[in-house]
Amino acid sequence: MPSNDHYVIIGNGPAGNHAADTLRENDGEARITILSQESVLYYYKHKLTEYIKGKTGEKELTVRPSHVYKDKRIRLRLGQEVERIDPLENRLYLKHMEIMSYTKLIIASGASPRILPSVSNFGKYLALLSSYTDVLNQLPEIRKNKRFLVLGGDLISFKFIRMLKDMGKDVDCLLYADAFWPFNLTTEMADAASESLRKSGVRVLSEDGLKAVKQTDQGFDVMTEKGHGAIYDSIYAFLGMVPNISFVLGSGIDTDRGILVDDHLKTNFDNVYAAGDCAQIYNPDIKSYWLSVGWKNASVQGEVAAMNFLGAGHVINPSPKKILNVEGFTVDTSWWEAFE
Amino acid sequence: MTIASETVKTIVYSTDPRDFGLVRKSIPCQNACPALTNIPGYIRCIHEGRYGRSYELNRMANILPGVLGRICSRPCELYCRHGESDLGKPVSICSLKRSAADLKSPMHRIMEGLYSPSGKKVAVVGAGPAGLGAAHELSVLGHRVVIYEAFEKPGGMLMYGIPEFRLPRDVLMLEIENILRLGVDLKTGVRVGRDVSLDSLLSEYDAVVLSTGCPSPNNLNVPGEDLENVYPGLDFMERVNRGEKPYVGKNVMVIGDGFTAMDCARSALRLGASEVKINIRKTEEYMPIDEQEKHEVKFEKIRFYSLVDTKRIIGENGRVTGIEFLRTKLEYSPVPPYRTASPMPDSEFILPADSVIVAIGQRSDPASISSRIKVSGSRILTADDRFSTDMEGLFAAGDCMSGPANVISAIARGRKCALEVDEYLTRGKRKIQVVRLDPVPSTDRDRSYDFISRTPMDTLDFDERVKPGNKEVEKGYSEEQAAIEAKRCYLCSLTYEIDTKKCIYCSACIDVAPRDCIKMIAGVPVSPDGSLGDFNETVKWNHVAAIAIDNERCIRCGQCYEVCPMDCIHVTKAELIELNKEA
Amino acid sequence: MSDMDLVVEICGSAGEGTISAGEILSRFMSEEGYDIMSFDSYPAEIRGFGKCVAHTRVGRGEVLTPGKYSDVLIALNDIHAIGQLPVLKEKGILIYDNKPPKYHLEDQSVVGWLEPGMIPYGIPLTELSIKASGNSKARNMVALGAFSALFGIDKTSFIESVKRRYGKKKQDIIDSNVNSFLEGYTWTLEHVRKIDPFRFDGTGAAVKRDQLIINGNEATAMGALAAGLHLYAGYPITPATKIMEIMSKELPKKGGIFLQTEDEISSIAHVIGAGYAGKRAMTGTSGPGFCLMSEFTGLAVMAEVPAVIVDSQRGGPSTGMPTKHEQSDLNIALNGGSGDCPRVVIAPTQVDECYQAAVLALYIAEKYQTLVILLLDFFLSNSIKNMDHPSPPDPKYLNTHVLPDDGDLPDFKRYKITDNGISPRTIPGKTGGMFFATGLEHDERGKPVYDTKSHTLMTEKRHRKHAGIAAEMIAPHITGCEGAVDIGVVSWGSSAGAAREAVAHATAKGIKAACFSTQFISPFPEQALRDFSKRCKKILVPEMNYSGQFANMIARYMERPMERLNMVTGLPMASEDILKKIEEIA
Repeated sequence: MPSNDHYVIIGNGPAGNHAADTLRENDGEARITILSQESVLYYYKHKLTEYIKGKTGEKELTVRPSHVYKDKRIRLRLGQEVERIDPLENRLYLKHMEIMSYTKLIIASGASPRILPSVSNFGKYLALLSSYTDVLNQLPEIRKNKRFLVLGGDLISFKFIRMLKDMGKDVDCLLYADAFWPFNLTTEMADAASESLRKSGVRVLSEDGLKAVKQTDQGFDVMTEKGHGAIYDSIYAFLGMVPNISFVLGSGIDTDRGILVDDHLKTNFDNVYAAGDCAQIYNPDIKSYWLSVGWKNASVQGEVAAMNFLGAGHVINPSPKKILNVEGFTVDTSWWEAFE
Repeated sequence: MTIASETVKTIVYSTDPRDFGLVRKSIPCQNACPALTNIPGYIRCIHEGRYGRSYELNRMANILPGVLGRICSRPCELYCRHGESDLGKPVSICSLKRSAADLKSPMHRIMEGLYSPSGKKVAVVGAGPAGLGAAHELSVLGHRVVIYEAFEKPGGMLMYGIPEFRLPRDVLMLEIENILRLGVDLKTGVRVGRDVSLDSLLSEYDAVVLSTGCPSPNNLNVPGEDLENVYPGLDFMERVNRGEKPYVGKNVMVIGDGFTAMDCARSALRLGASEVKINIRKTEEYMPIDEQEKHEVKFEKIRFYSLVDTKRIIGENGRVTGIEFLRTKLEYSPVPPYRTASPMPDSEFILPADSVIVAIGQRSDPASISSRIKVSGSRILTADDRFSTDMEGLFAAGDCMSGPANVISAIARGRKCALEVDEYLTRGKRKIQVVRLDPVPSTDRDRSYDFISRTPMDTLDFDERVKPGNKEVEKGYSEEQAAIEAKRCYLCSLTYEIDTKKCIYCSACIDVAPRDCIKMIAGVPVSPDGSLGDFNETVKWNHVAAIAIDNERCIRCGQCYEVCPMDCIHVTKAELIELNKEA
Repeated sequence: MSDMDLVVEICGSAGEGTISAGEILSRFMSEEGYDIMSFDSYPAEIRGFGKCVAHTRVGRGEVLTPGKYSDVLIALNDIHAIGQLPVLKEKGILIYDNKPPKYHLEDQSVVGWLEPGMIPYGIPLTELSIKASGNSKARNMVALGAFSALFGIDKTSFIESVKRRYGKKKQDIIDSNVNSFLEGYTWTLEHVRKIDPFRFDGTGAAVKRDQLIINGNEATAMGALAAGLHLYAGYPITPATKIMEIMSKELPKKGGIFLQTEDEISSIAHVIGAGYAGKRAMTGTSGPGFCLMSEFTGLAVMAEVPAVIVDSQRGGPSTGMPTKHEQSDLNIALNGGSGDCPRVVIAPTQVDECYQAAVLALYIAEKYQTLVILLLDFFLSNSIKNMDHPSPPDPKYLNTHVLPDDGDLPDFKRYKITDNGISPRTIPGKTGGMFFATGLEHDERGKPVYDTKSHTLMTEKRHRKHAGIAAEMIAPHITGCEGAVDIGVVSWGSSAGAAREAVAHATAKGIKAACFSTQFISPFPEQALRDFSKRCKKILVPEMNYSGQFANMIARYMERPMERLNMVTGLPMASEDILKKIEEIA
């Protein structure tokens, strides 16, 4: 029997793609559309640093070629941003001025780098990097520049610093106590991390902060609160992530830090689900709301959302999907609490 | 006077319900303003550099423009057409109001349309915004007014609730002074119900207006609320505004999501707190404050802590040490804002605190004035829209009869109440509302204005804010900024109309329309109140009775006006004004 | 990107300035030293709100075809542009209005249909146009501004070019165009992150130059005018009307005569009349009109009167597809009309060749006193190319009457049997030079005769002219690998450009290939083709008709099997299609 369903998935990352695949496997008839703000195919985020180094090509970065979507009859709309949602009318208003209807919606829009209040005054000097598009835009600069200051603390910052060192760059790192993400480092962890970075030739400035930044012909003239002054070609900030939910705000779909969903990943609308980095879930074990981190969580959530979409009634399990290895210590978390 | 369907050639004053309907629907900001301020009118004056006239246009509806230009909760901006989702951000209506007050000449002449003395005496109880609004209008109408104020200074919540860094006291006092200059007698430090009885006022005066506001803070009703360093928000603000420095410690927990909670949090910061959290039961989205205020709070590094409900306040040795919260979840509710928060079982957790400020609303306390006043809940019971109580000569206005509301509503109610009192005293209406229709030869706007983005308000740096002195945070627009922001107003009071007698149905106007503002219609239904309803649109040419401009969708860009080959599009300025009935 | 080669399509509704935007762009690119070719399409109805596509290819090297697929699509109208997406390349770029005044319904937004890998650049065309010029009519210029910013085009040069183009218009029109261009340019620089590799700057374009930007019809008309055309008689018909338009303006200025006749029969009759009177004359038509002229073509040959017919071919038979391309009039051009009727058929392969072909046509017609058919086609007539200003025709091609010596006059033999077949003729009014001119077979004096000998001699004489013409014809154009090749592509008319390009691509891919193309179809460079054929393992004949009219014709010169590529898509021959065929058979 032909189905009139149109399943729309906002987001082309692991959550979105797993959701789409799961939906297709279980419903051969429905129209399925993936909307992606980025113009590039589904890619492996963890390979981006290798890509910047030139060790990995575009092909290896891409999870799968575009014909896969055609084969699965999944319509992939790349470079198309959702401006707002009208969940009462089941409509999406796209930024390029197109109205789209759905019968069911999965929001898997991921997260973007956050700017902490403590550095917000310097926002315009800070480079942020989390997506393939960011990489494409910044690649020439990263390759060309020599002196880097990294405001760090989150997981990605450590990976980025390693990459810069591999590329032979000079790297100073300002470790922000409030930037540890997705978890708060203990003093021992922070020390271990600093020590490990130092060993690889990184100058680590801890318990310090930005005081002044000036853009000069030579680069960014930086002065820290503790009086460390130097000139850098680039300042990168890796201070954790915030869910991409601006297009959901005011729609009637409830949000807090992320999109509020129940343990079935359903929002307050019966035909709207959220999965992956943008979904905020209450976890009775920790008596708190949490947001997931990483590829594995996103994939699982994408599948669960899709199954529940189709009426399966699966409950999401917040137990760690991955042990994170960071600069000499390990942490078994795959989520972060939804509070700053 | 049947005007609506005819194109006006000269200035006309209309009382046709269709014209009232037109003004109501086509000028959304004015309609959203509880005082029905002529917003396009005063913004247009700023555009022309006529700040004094702009100020006076404000003053006709609201006697405290300089005050409201700073602290109004801006219900108008939510409805500003420029803020519709496809059109950008609303005009900074409120900040422009402040500009009119700031930029007018220091020699500015106050305009008052004074009536002859009536020989009647009216007592107003409470010198807050409602009382001041009522007192001013009653004085204008020729009545002798005495205000009884329990505190030592007038202004009510404006003086004792709102912090100085949002409302400098000289601005407030100047505008109050302008009211008192009409011969209003202000008796401060007199609490009615304690120092003087309501009955004696009723016998001494021809009428009495109660405008006592909502002075009693609501309680959490949880254990530990009586601990030291737990403050009701209102008391906390009152003490701060009196110049006291209540102990806050380093780690301050504010509970509540309204303007008072924000004021408490920001004041606590200025008292030396290093970490201030505002704990709310729902999410930021459902807070009853505007985005600008949220932004300022966050800028001051105050954090919102959402989805939490206070279970109890914890203390040691009688002093606060922390709060035990429960996590909440949002649930649908049939009344605005359509969400409630309900605590989840077994979700307790504790956060430390040096002090706790509970700002979860307030209520009126009519019993403290007289036990004879009839109440509904804690509100004074009045006849619908008439402000009269069941006691002869006793009226009530503002928060004491409406429950806690915003300042502009209180002022509007004070003024409306005064008109009711006047009708009671003189047995007739002396002022009526009409729609003034004025044909204008041009659209008055440049299309490029539509692409100007909202002018941000310059504010103090963080360091400046926390320095002693409570300096005003918002700097106000410069003349240049005000001029640019004023250009953004669509001037929705200019209504566009196609003369169906001349229209040749070429649809050139539809082709250039910036949005679906020009429609092919089969007819227009008349609503029960006599105003015109929504168009019956059609796409079939053989059903088209007219091509019509939907003034609710129109952004007054003037494209259709320019392109029309028949010059059959007319622009009429439609303004709601008050006329003196006898004139 | 040293070998910049970009195909740009601008797609909009009639009245949105689509075609003029394309023209502005090609003109500028040509001035900058790039080779361009444009092939626009617009609605069949002259005034309508149909779809327009301005299609331009810009290249550093010689541009031979407009390109089947586009690199950049500029959408001025979403619905129409959706229809152009199938020809956008896999990594193509879309420039679209990301802030139209109204929301599109689902699937009516062009960017919504982009395939992965394509790159969208959203520009608020309408908004910027309104901002810059007060209305939305300048969206085309905003789009060009965006295009220039994206592809590294120097804005100052571009503005100068626009100013030159609008030179005589009112200042406010120029300002509005320039401002809109700048608005689009600036906005794009500030807001768009470029992720495609194409850039014009740094490609080391050739020296700036002043060139003509014209289509085949214009080049033909220019050539005819330069060659001393005196009379043009015609009846409008797509795709030849443009020639007539030009003649209506230009001929009277030069003291010539322009006539719009009641039908095509009358047109050719006027042309023959003028030719008889010693004036250079021409008509232009398309297939259906050419059919009507058939009877008179015989008269021109039989009475040995100079006549030139331009036949711009379109989709047939009958009324067929007036605005579509086809090469299917070859049979009628070669064989139409009655009797053994030798005529000259020239089919230029490129826009610039049309100019010289027109000069030659008038020259041959006059000198050899016969019918010359200039075979254009829809694509050649409408495709726009840059070319150097042509130098005036060599005087040897002008005023080439073969006149009798005065001594011959007392007994003037108008149709004297000669070795080269050309009989000296008098221009009417010459004392003693009177003669019969008739469609009946005749003797040397022109007197009608029906005897075996006269008809034999006269038929032979008329055919003998072709040997002389063959000696003067333009040599075939041979490109590609020298020596023995695997594939030899033999092509004619406007398909030749695609054939040359395909062969170049095939060679680059390592396939040994060569291309033979000729403008002269009758007489035909037989020996050259035989020589070419000898070094080819396989012969491929691509042409835009179903029955293989050219292949059938040349079969008799080669007597060998041929691969054919016959298409009736209504579109110009694409090098991609030939290349595909080459790869199949190689």
